[in-house]
Amino acid sequence: MLAYVLRRFAYSIVVLFLATVLVFVLVAESGNPLAILLSNPRVSHRTILEREKLLHLNLPLWDRYWIWFSHAVRGDFGLTISNHAVGPELWQHFAITLRMIIPATIIAILAGVGMGVYAALRNGRVGDRASMTANFLFLSIPTFVIGVVLKEFVAIPINQHVNRTIFYTSGEQSPSLTGNVVQRLPDYVAHTALPVITLVLITYSSWAIYQRSATLDAIDSDYVRLARAKGLHPRRVLTRHVVRNALIPVTTVIALDFAAVLGGAIITENVFNWQGMGTWFIFGVGQLDINVVLAYLLVTAVAIIAFNLLADVLYGLLDPRIRYD
Amino acid sequence: MGKGELVRLMNLTKWAVGLASAGLVMAACSSSGSGGSSTGSSQSVKSGGSITYALDENLAGFNINTSAAAEFVLQEVLDQVWPTVFNADQNGTPFLNTELVSSVTQTSTNPQTLVYKINPKAKWSDGQPIDAFDFWYNGMIQSGASSITDIDGKAPDVASSAGYNQIKSVTGSDPANGAACKSDSVTGITGSISCGNGDTVTVTFSAPYADYKALFSPMVPAHEAAKVGWNTGFTDWHTVLSGSWYEISNYVENQYVVLKKNPSYWGTPGKLDTITFQIFNGDQQAVPAMQNGEVQVIQPLELDLATVQQANQLTGVTRKLIGGFQYQHIDFNQSDPYLAMTPVRQALAYGTDRKQIVARTIGEYDPSIVPLGSRMYVPGQTGYVNNGSAFETVDVAKAKSLLQSAGMTMGSDGYFQPSSGPQKGQDLTFTLKSTSGNTLRANIEQLLQAQWKAIGVKLEIQNETASTLFGTDLPKGQFQITLFAWVATPFVSANEAIFCSYTNSSLCGENWNHYANPQVDKLLTNGAAATSSQSETNDYNQADKLLWQDMATLPLFQEPVFTVWSNKYGNIVPNPTNFGIPWNANLWGLKAS
Repeated sequence: MLAYVLRRFAYSIVVLFLATVLVFVLVAESGNPLAILLSNPRVSHRTILEREKLLHLNLPLWDRYWIWFSHAVRGDFGLTISNHAVGPELWQHFAITLRMIIPATIIAILAGVGMGVYAALRNGRVGDRASMTANFLFLSIPTFVIGVVLKEFVAIPINQHVNRTIFYTSGEQSPSLTGNVVQRLPDYVAHTALPVITLVLITYSSWAIYQRSATLDAIDSDYVRLARAKGLHPRRVLTRHVVRNALIPVTTVIALDFAAVLGGAIITENVFNWQGMGTWFIFGVGQLDINVVLAYLLVTAVAIIAFNLLADVLYGLLDPRIRYD
Repeated sequence: MGKGELVRLMNLTKWAVGLASAGLVMAACSSSGSGGSSTGSSQSVKSGGSITYALDENLAGFNINTSAAAEFVLQEVLDQVWPTVFNADQNGTPFLNTELVSSVTQTSTNPQTLVYKINPKAKWSDGQPIDAFDFWYNGMIQSGASSITDIDGKAPDVASSAGYNQIKSVTGSDPANGAACKSDSVTGITGSISCGNGDTVTVTFSAPYADYKALFSPMVPAHEAAKVGWNTGFTDWHTVLSGSWYEISNYVENQYVVLKKNPSYWGTPGKLDTITFQIFNGDQQAVPAMQNGEVQVIQPLELDLATVQQANQLTGVTRKLIGGFQYQHIDFNQSDPYLAMTPVRQALAYGTDRKQIVARTIGEYDPSIVPLGSRMYVPGQTGYVNNGSAFETVDVAKAKSLLQSAGMTMGSDGYFQPSSGPQKGQDLTFTLKSTSGNTLRANIEQLLQAQWKAIGVKLEIQNETASTLFGTDLPKGQFQITLFAWVATPFVSANEAIFCSYTNSSLCGENWNHYANPQVDKLLTNGAAATSSQSETNDYNQADKLLWQDMATLPLFQEPVFTVWSNKYGNIVPNPTNFGIPWNANLWGLKAS
């Protein structure tokens, strides 16, 4: 197992390195981030040269990459084109995104597993069909549509009806929020509710479908038939033999999807005006800010690689039949 | 950098240059104004309360005078924070901030000499007086002189040296309360000011600078900059001292800026206790936020029918569409052998149904917009004349006749074919470059394709990112026809850089079309030096007539500025200039019931 993990880790480092090279070249060749200044005759040549020097735009591409790489391995991601340190900005935006996706993932896991098991137990009946219809509906509706519908047809009417703000439609928190965490919590919840619900709806549905399928497989398995034949209580059969085994494939799917959610919260962040990683990335791409784009890439790539590895390891731990050579 | 940012950066630059040019007509007299507190105040409001305004872009820092942070949204935030000698009202008319400077007098024209009388009560929020040292530092650091550095030895990042590079000296005199003169200096700047604590500032120019009203607007605190530096010292909001009605009380990057009343302000205080600028990822989310009561003022930059319709559903608000200073236009690159021929450009103009373009784009939500008849003024602005009436109605026959006169023959497929040049014997085809991802321009392009097909000209579309179009293609002349927006500021001398002969590369750096006409040059120069508003308007309109005659560019339409605000607040007056709507936010308040 350890040898397998180390081998995967080594591959991942190579993949990560190649990804940074590719993205660096693509962004660097996309245009000049100082183009607007260059087209403005009132910005002096001296200012342009100084900005170029500061951003290392005056150096050959590989020298620029090497500067970025040598700083990145030390945890320093350089400056944005507006002269801000990338590192603190990265962690600030990352923390905001985590505030959204951690509760969303926890709720989605509970909802996905619960709905999947429920649908499997009601296989072919109304509950199953209703559940599957909802799952496919949420799976097929674009994220921004869910977000806008929640804002326009749920949050705003409710707020107007009760004449106070229960749900906020933009931002992570109210400006100048004061007090301790407990005092600030209601404001956080009011801001977080809609984006979390949106993420839950687009995430839980596929997990529920997986869970339903895995549960049905487990119900039809020999070991469950044997457990029933031995006269075990149906609840014990369900919890110890059906759900436990059915969770194995779903666990790996969830581990893989978590990393995707991290990178994929871009639309939700935009709809609800959250200044998370996704918004920051879009801004970086728009500005051709290579250090911002690469910092985003590194975090999401590391998350994807780590969660892929975690999924593999979990699979082996949960299913003793799996052996790693 | 998105197109909005580009346009706003251009706005900002043009405004900065243009602001003072309105003052050309008063160049020889003392300036006084309606003051910082008497403009835009017509409703009775009470003190106290708060308001939230939706900003549609992130802030890149707080020193708006650096190229790294020169953004319209930052100007909106700083309207009420950093002191400005001249502001611009809702009509684009500059007025003196008399609470800061009681008068600005031009005492000599050769050399041009200006005397600023600072209000002795004026001070920064840390208690330091606003004095001649601030004028000296702001003048020197933005001069662009190679000998001047920031405190760390690096070259200062300056958004524009225009005007500052013509300042010969800044001296101080008359310290408050008869105090003795005190010398001030800053690391990196050669020399010092002998009476930095003076309340009278004398600025002498090495060459006349008619746009002097653009200078010292805004000013950074010299004593603070001397400690933290110009380039990066003001990226931290804590160093942003106030010299105006409000000060920054909180800033969370990319989320919001909160202003509160500046307790050290010496003049009439602002009405509201706090003004919050909430930062949005673009404009789409601002309307629902307003509907939900999270913001009380919005001014979408990316205006479209859907946004207006969405805003029309809001209740308890005031909506206002006013003519803006930004206009869409088509440019012809005269380095192209066919577009170098005036009849070809005129033919394209006669073949362009501008009324149809207006009706099918911006006219869907603002029926008051008409085809633009001037490059110097916009409808509703003093001096506006429709100089392009000859091109107001599409004339296919005349367009075809002009193409024939330019040596084109009609092919069997309905397209003209040049008899010489690189397209000899082929269908006459032009490529239009614009910015990708802009729905308005994409719609115009499609309409143009159909309209020019009717006159026998093929049009191909090749859109680029804003950074490629404005960073490479236009400055290097790598285009035939382009479509984008300029800002026709109320300060028309700013147009000189666009329309004077391209051969003068230092002055006419934005003439990417290789257009040259000495008569136009002369009229633009005369306009900038005019001593009466009448002769100024005449000169610019004469220049515009020649530009129509030469068909240097084809103006399409002025774009409206759309503002929505809650009816609970009074004295909110949309301002199409680059001060933006917060230009008079010190007067905003909850309506007295």
